[in-house]
Amino acid sequence: MFYIHHTSCISPQKTFADIDIENAKAPVENKLLVVEPVYESIPLNILRRMGKAVRISVGAALPICRQNMDGIIIGTANGGMEDCIKFLNQIIEYDEGMLTPTNFVQSTTNAVAGQIGLLTSNRGYNCTHVHRGLAFENAVIDVDMLLKENTSNKYLLGGVDEISAYNYNIELLGNWYKKEKISGSNLYESNSPGTIAGEGVAMFSVSSVQSNALAAMQGIRILHSEDENQVAEILQKFIQQNIHPGEKIDLLLSGENGDSRFLKYYEACEKVTGKEISVGRFKHVFGEYPTVSALAVWLACNILKEQSIPEHLLKYCSAKKKFSKILIYNNYKGIQHSFILLSKA
Amino acid sequence: MEKEQLKKQLKEQIVQFLNLMQVKPEDIKDDEPLFGEGLGLDSIDSIELIVLLNREYGIDIKDPKEGRKVLVDVNTMVDYIEAHRTK
Amino acid sequence: MTRILVTGMGIISAIGDGIDANRTSLSQGKTGIGQSSLLSSRYASLLPFGEIKISTQSFREKLLVNEQGITRTSLIALHAFGQAIDDSKLTAQEIHSYNTALIGASTVGGMCLTDELYHDANKHDEGSAYLSSYDCGSVDMFLQQRYHINGVVDTINTACSSSANAIMHGARLIHHGLAERAIVGGVDSLAKFTINGFNALHILSDEICTPFDEKRKGLNLGEGAGFLVLEKEENVHNKNVYAELSGYCNSNDAFHPSSLSDDGEGPYLAMKGALTKANLAADEIDFINAHGTGTENNDEKESIAMIRLFEKIPAFISTKSYTGHTLGAAGAIEAVFSILSLYNGEVYPEINFSSPIVTTGLTPVRSYQKKDLQHVMSNSFGFGGNCSSLIFSKA
Repeated sequence: MFYIHHTSCISPQKTFADIDIENAKAPVENKLLVVEPVYESIPLNILRRMGKAVRISVGAALPICRQNMDGIIIGTANGGMEDCIKFLNQIIEYDEGMLTPTNFVQSTTNAVAGQIGLLTSNRGYNCTHVHRGLAFENAVIDVDMLLKENTSNKYLLGGVDEISAYNYNIELLGNWYKKEKISGSNLYESNSPGTIAGEGVAMFSVSSVQSNALAAMQGIRILHSEDENQVAEILQKFIQQNIHPGEKIDLLLSGENGDSRFLKYYEACEKVTGKEISVGRFKHVFGEYPTVSALAVWLACNILKEQSIPEHLLKYCSAKKKFSKILIYNNYKGIQHSFILLSKA
Repeated sequence: MEKEQLKKQLKEQIVQFLNLMQVKPEDIKDDEPLFGEGLGLDSIDSIELIVLLNREYGIDIKDPKEGRKVLVDVNTMVDYIEAHRTK
Repeated sequence: MTRILVTGMGIISAIGDGIDANRTSLSQGKTGIGQSSLLSSRYASLLPFGEIKISTQSFREKLLVNEQGITRTSLIALHAFGQAIDDSKLTAQEIHSYNTALIGASTVGGMCLTDELYHDANKHDEGSAYLSSYDCGSVDMFLQQRYHINGVVDTINTACSSSANAIMHGARLIHHGLAERAIVGGVDSLAKFTINGFNALHILSDEICTPFDEKRKGLNLGEGAGFLVLEKEENVHNKNVYAELSGYCNSNDAFHPSSLSDDGEGPYLAMKGALTKANLAADEIDFINAHGTGTENNDEKESIAMIRLFEKIPAFISTKSYTGHTLGAAGAIEAVFSILSLYNGEVYPEINFSSPIVTTGLTPVRSYQKKDLQHVMSNSFGFGGNCSSLIFSKA
């Protein structure tokens, strides 16, 4: 268990400076691209080299890094993949001749954590977890352990991925995206394989200190499985371990993404949580990508703070309107599953 | 190509190649140091400029250390290009 | 706090397949770096590499991998992973337990298939068989599915320190009760992508590398995989134990994206932190397996960091003159080498060394020697300033 004190999010919606998730931007050609702010805190000399994933990560991190973090832990499945394809294209175009190194250096997955460390002169623990749909969750587990090892420390925790030519085309060829046009929440009615592409970053400053915290990260569990019964069983155990007598979950934030092949997992989990718990969905506004669970955590923190959830995010609303415990269930491509429990601090 | 024209072209190429934000080619002085003070480029930029010389002017500088002697300012770069260009 | 013991190891590198073969090459001072025979790259004949002389197709046949879309990186990982599991005699029940973690590492992933990636990323055709195999996570997804690992599964990429961090992460999961055992390590295979990347930075040498030598010209790339099985002491019973993982630390140099700071602060902090974690004084370290890539920057700054920390520098070598720089696998492969030294009470020679760096004056071990070792340190310092240090102690 640890506490989230500050959050920062750059996403396809207005989540950075003026937060407004009531009025959601629709996908364009089945893609939800981030809305980038003007980066006042990044020196131009360094900004010029950055690909999108690094840029939005640094842009989101710097405002909350001012309080001297003791380490930086990032989850990203693909890192700076835009730079990866640029370097790749150079290799082919110039037949392995003289190539410019910037794209290569910026394409490494640890460029995000490395750049943030560089810009904040942070010499503490620095790690990048890249396990695809559980990259962010593994970063959460890492930070949880760090805070138990160093109870008076503060860490920067984040999750990021970008839509780049590289991974968008590859995912498209792999039939991971819808063939029909999606305009928003009709994503969930589409009854066909595939989803829509998204990108974004969420950063959190975290510590063991409860006072003035925005939210508590109460528990997390990850699983690889293609058996919805096993997934439901693990969820059952997770709830038993983390919800004590007299306590209740108020909202299930579901990573349902409109892909008909994976609906069974979400249905199995909703069966476990039951009719008394409201269900919200977020991928029609954030899209699907490996570390979107970071945005889900940001969203949950926002709901806990505002004590409200925009109508368009609700799949199902029970009578309860107070939010003190939010359970996030997400899966990536029907194999990697995670449960995250957040509560009001 | 005339020297002044080459200087202008080179400045545009430097800005574009290194993606120098908010730097206009015409603002770069001919004798302004490229590294350290002045434009404030670093070691990765020196490698990038060597690639620029290769791609645009057919000049081959194998050792980045040798390259730094050429990459002092626009004047030294232009002199070197005029003497060694193959394109 | 429970002791974390190493009960199994698996390794494949340019100097051999398996721990015995690797140990033999190290003891004989025999490098595996040389002319590539399998690589498809303009640099295959121009630069030396630490290549595993087994074709990808041979790996598939050896490992009975019939499905399409499995990359060389994943195959090499599978090979070493299987060795580690067998060596530690883990039962099927233990392998599939919810309490068994797999923490892997890779910097290349499926990007070894540079040409296929180029075509798929640019959508030139219908899509190759490798569409879901390019990312670094694909390797551990493959291992997870192949072995039905049900505990925490993770992949770490922090450049050259990746698998050292994976080893650390696995140990910490055990300490925190999130795993009873962890299979940890890393892999990388030779890839046009990384060859060209390092070449663009002018840090590849056209000769076999000479770590810590005044005339060093750069590094050689290598490929390989190393895996360790880490278990809690109370679960080990009568098993063979290679070593205890007694200390570890990660820190960040925060100086430049691809070179270390003048005073080697990142490496210094990592080594110092590992000593603190192990509750050891600097003079208790008997041997260091250094990062020692053979680049001008790394070897000098690493030397400076060692001089700052150790009043008397322990015996040290870099094994990168044997295997090349195996990037994501380096931390794990070198952990295996460090443990072989510790377990067998011997120190292997630095090969290709002539004269020390003038500014720092450090000389590595020059010849094979039997030496009783109690504590060995293994260091890995990566791109982006990511620095990790591991300490293995006699169990």
